Amino acid sequence: MIDTWLPVGVVLSSFLPGLFIFFLAESRIRLRTALNLIGALAKLALIGVMLWGVLNDHEYVFRHTVLPGLDLVLKADALALLFVTLSAVLWLFTTLYAIGYLEGAPHRSRFFGFFSLCVTATVGVAMAGNLFTFFVFYELLTLATYPLVVHRGTEQAMRAGHVYLGYTLGGGALLLVGTVWLYGLAGQADFVHGGSLAALPPETAGQLQVVFLLLIAGVGVKAALVPLHGWLPLAMVAPAPVSALLHAVAVVKAGAFGIVRIVYEVYGVEFAQSLDLLTPLAIAAAVTIIWGSLRALFQDDLKKRLAYSTVSQVSYIALGVALFGPLGTIGGLVHLVHQGIMKITLFFCAGNYAETLGIHKISEMDGAGRRMPWTSLAFTLGAFGMIGVPPLAGFVSKWYLGLGALEAGMPWVLAVLAASSLLNAAYFLPVLHRIWFRPAPSAWPAEHIPQRGRWETAPLLLLPPLATAAAILLVGLFAASAFSPLDWAKLIADREYLQWTP
Amino acid sequence: MLAASLILPVLLPLLIVPLVLLRGSRATALRLAPWAPLPGLILALAAPGDLHLELPGLLLGTSLGLDASGRLFLLFTALVWLLAGAFAQGWLRDDAGRHRFWAFFLATQAGNLGVCLAQDAASFYLLFALMTFAAYGLVVHSGTAEALRAGRVYLVMAVLGEALLVVGMLLAVGAAGSHRLADLAALPLSGPAAALLIAGFGIKVGVPLLHMWLPLAHPVAPVPASAVLSGVILKAGLLGWLRFLPLGAHALPEAGTALMAGGLLAMFLGVGAGLAQHNPKVLLAYSSVSQMGFMSLGVGAGLTAPSLWPLLLSAVGLYALHHALAKSALFLGVGLIRLRGARPASLAGLALPALALAGAPLTSGMLAKTELKLALAKLAAPWPDLLAWALPLAGLGTALLMARLLWLVWNKYATAGPGAAAPRGLVTPWLLLVLASAVLVWAMAPASVRTQAPRIGTLLDAAWPTFAAAALGLLALRLRWRAPALPPGDILLPLSRGLAWLGRRRAVWSWAKPGVGLPDPARMAARAQRLESRLPARGAAGAWWLTLLATLGALLG
Repeated sequence: MIDTWLPVGVVLSSFLPGLFIFFLAESRIRLRTALNLIGALAKLALIGVMLWGVLNDHEYVFRHTVLPGLDLVLKADALALLFVTLSAVLWLFTTLYAIGYLEGAPHRSRFFGFFSLCVTATVGVAMAGNLFTFFVFYELLTLATYPLVVHRGTEQAMRAGHVYLGYTLGGGALLLVGTVWLYGLAGQADFVHGGSLAALPPETAGQLQVVFLLLIAGVGVKAALVPLHGWLPLAMVAPAPVSALLHAVAVVKAGAFGIVRIVYEVYGVEFAQSLDLLTPLAIAAAVTIIWGSLRALFQDDLKKRLAYSTVSQVSYIALGVALFGPLGTIGGLVHLVHQGIMKITLFFCAGNYAETLGIHKISEMDGAGRRMPWTSLAFTLGAFGMIGVPPLAGFVSKWYLGLGALEAGMPWVLAVLAASSLLNAAYFLPVLHRIWFRPAPSAWPAEHIPQRGRWETAPLLLLPPLATAAAILLVGLFAASAFSPLDWAKLIADREYLQWTP
Repeated sequence: MLAASLILPVLLPLLIVPLVLLRGSRATALRLAPWAPLPGLILALAAPGDLHLELPGLLLGTSLGLDASGRLFLLFTALVWLLAGAFAQGWLRDDAGRHRFWAFFLATQAGNLGVCLAQDAASFYLLFALMTFAAYGLVVHSGTAEALRAGRVYLVMAVLGEALLVVGMLLAVGAAGSHRLADLAALPLSGPAAALLIAGFGIKVGVPLLHMWLPLAHPVAPVPASAVLSGVILKAGLLGWLRFLPLGAHALPEAGTALMAGGLLAMFLGVGAGLAQHNPKVLLAYSSVSQMGFMSLGVGAGLTAPSLWPLLLSAVGLYALHHALAKSALFLGVGLIRLRGARPASLAGLALPALALAGAPLTSGMLAKTELKLALAKLAAPWPDLLAWALPLAGLGTALLMARLLWLVWNKYATAGPGAAAPRGLVTPWLLLVLASAVLVWAMAPASVRTQAPRIGTLLDAAWPTFAAAALGLLALRLRWRAPALPPGDILLPLSRGLAWLGRRRAVWSWAKPGVGLPDPARMAARAQRLESRLPARGAAGAWWLTLLATLGALLG
């Protein structure tokens, strides 16, 4: 009985505090912080229980029939928990960071309210048990993040918000049409291992291909597949914690996760392969990977460079999904987690440079490593991780993606991975060179937070990136250990392939 | 229990890195730092039999081990790091940034010692990358414009090498279904994988056309760093070949022939370019390119003739040991003499490893060269005939190079450098290295080679290049021949000039088709920017249209 309510509890653990926070006065800082942290910790505790259960082959399902034939289903399986755990852990860090970041800023109740809603929607997306539920939370995510993107209220922010809404609502509409079409064809079906469409009569194959295109385009908007990625670089006007959450956990990841669900648990990877759907997806992902890296190369604005880097890196997940075979699946799924940890670290650091020293541009970063060695250390780990240098997280992803490409008989993907690594190096190493090896200028652009003893910046700004940077190292260095993201991704891949024989 | 100590050579230097950087522990850590390679040295000398350590939870499943090749490489690698570290303590005594130097020095060291122990592809790649990237800090330590330029070239080549390596390794691992080196070695390697691995490690070894970073980067680093860069870090690339190529098990005739040709080319290119240098350290770096050519030759021969590999492996190993010790002794010696002036005693100390490199009678070089010649003589035609000419000629070249080195040092550093009070503690490590280079190769050489050594034929073979070089050198002095000057990095300059020229002459380039030119990055970027800035409006509109169409489709379908 309690099992049914655990997934609901995970959703409510951020939803209820979020609702409450909306009605709090600006000055109730302590209560607000306490609510945020209680919600985050309660969520983690619930997830811990479910992780243990799922490991022992248990599933947690909550079902509520809205209309006959239209169920709202929340289901915590291995795949859902991969994403839920990532969101919950990173939400905790981002909340702490945001508390430090927004100290003294206006509209904090509004901000944290939507912040909680945003995470609620994300865990909902993660645990959605069918396409309808997925769609509901996917749209909720759009609506919850819009106020965060435009939080600063500047003209630039409002414009970015407009573009963001235009794109994501468009994507949502595509997703809705695709879902309705599919419900018409096959009726309602839960997400199941191996998919549920293989049993349809063969003459529907053409329609299924079109529906696949619609669904992938729908979630591809949030996953920033080229050419649907235009909103992402603009959205970097949002405050740093929002960018961090947007790029690592919430929006972009929800899109990528949608691709995973659609390929594996709606169509079934083996069926999708038989419909020739995976190769086009791999090509789209490869184009995105290269295009994002190329565009990142020419950005001087640090957050913009990171944004284009996200465009490129998130498509590693889609690429892994499109590589037919367990190794590719493992590579894609583990990158879902790894990219999140790495990118959130980089955005935390970018926020620290901006808040502490007023550095927004890469050309202003000379010598920043001497003034802010700890932040710069975290940034360095994130950047090397993105390049794929061992033993960091990104290396493990790339290694499995490469092996997956060979297993799937697509060796050209290796060239894409190598080119992407070279481009990553080309746009991250010059930044690192500036940080560590150039002399510092006589004055920083705008030093807001002076050095206080050992603290190069506010403690709440420094500790979250250090924690996530340590995670980058640990998940890579101990990738083969039990309970690592890699281990969990292997567990999922093991359950997704029904007929696979290597 | 003993096997657990295999992790120490990697772990100890890495543990000292943060202690060197943190202010509170810096003084203690700096005293401790030179001793960091000691566990590696003790392991290489005293560890019993085949040690093996499995760390299944680490990285992708790590296995470390100490086999015969690993032990030999660990021996000279740890020894050179230890003595270079002792030298560095004195050399950088007054350097304000010495804690940074030491941090990079120790991290590079951890990687370099680690590759000798790694027994799986992922940890080999990890430690190799650690060594490569950390060494950047050594190259640019002085912070001069020259060092920064060398650092840039170094980094570009390093990243390129890493990319080649990871793809090559993935191809090999994908085919073998395992990332243990023992499993990889048992399977034949596909052509592309072999090419990628040879080129990827070849960047580190300095095979021709991939060598241009080397004469730039090695000399600009502080002297003890140059010694390890040229002495032992290059050897990590060689070890990579030994570990990943199916040597002794499967033949790769094309790759082997290409590598042998590359080795031959390197031998003479290194000598030719080295003779045209006026800075002793650059000359030494070119000499490394040339000497690594001998080892490439051996590895290439092993790829063409797997049955000869046991002989060749022993020869290549001995050569690596000899060159590691002699070359680092030369670098330290040149640095020392620059500081203290060219006194007869120190010149004699420099001449000893120089003679060894030239392969003079009874030196370590003679032993290494004899063994290599013996092994190569068993190759199929036409190699024995070709090498019977080429190897002595290359030996003559090396002897000439060493003669020029001694002359340059004697001429340039006749008096002590500025700030004549040389730090203490430099001479002892250097002398120990000279001694080790003279003794250790004799101790490690197989008995068959040692018995060959005192024969008249062997001695004569070894003696004539040295005497010929001495005679030629004297002749050159008498006739006042002047060496031409070649900028370090040789092909780099025409390469970068060529690219710049192409960039300027886009009009010329596009003569065939007007409007088709070399892409101009800035213009391309601007074009991409324009393209994307139009996307928001069009993209959103397009999505809505698509939705409309799809709705129709859904209703009709």
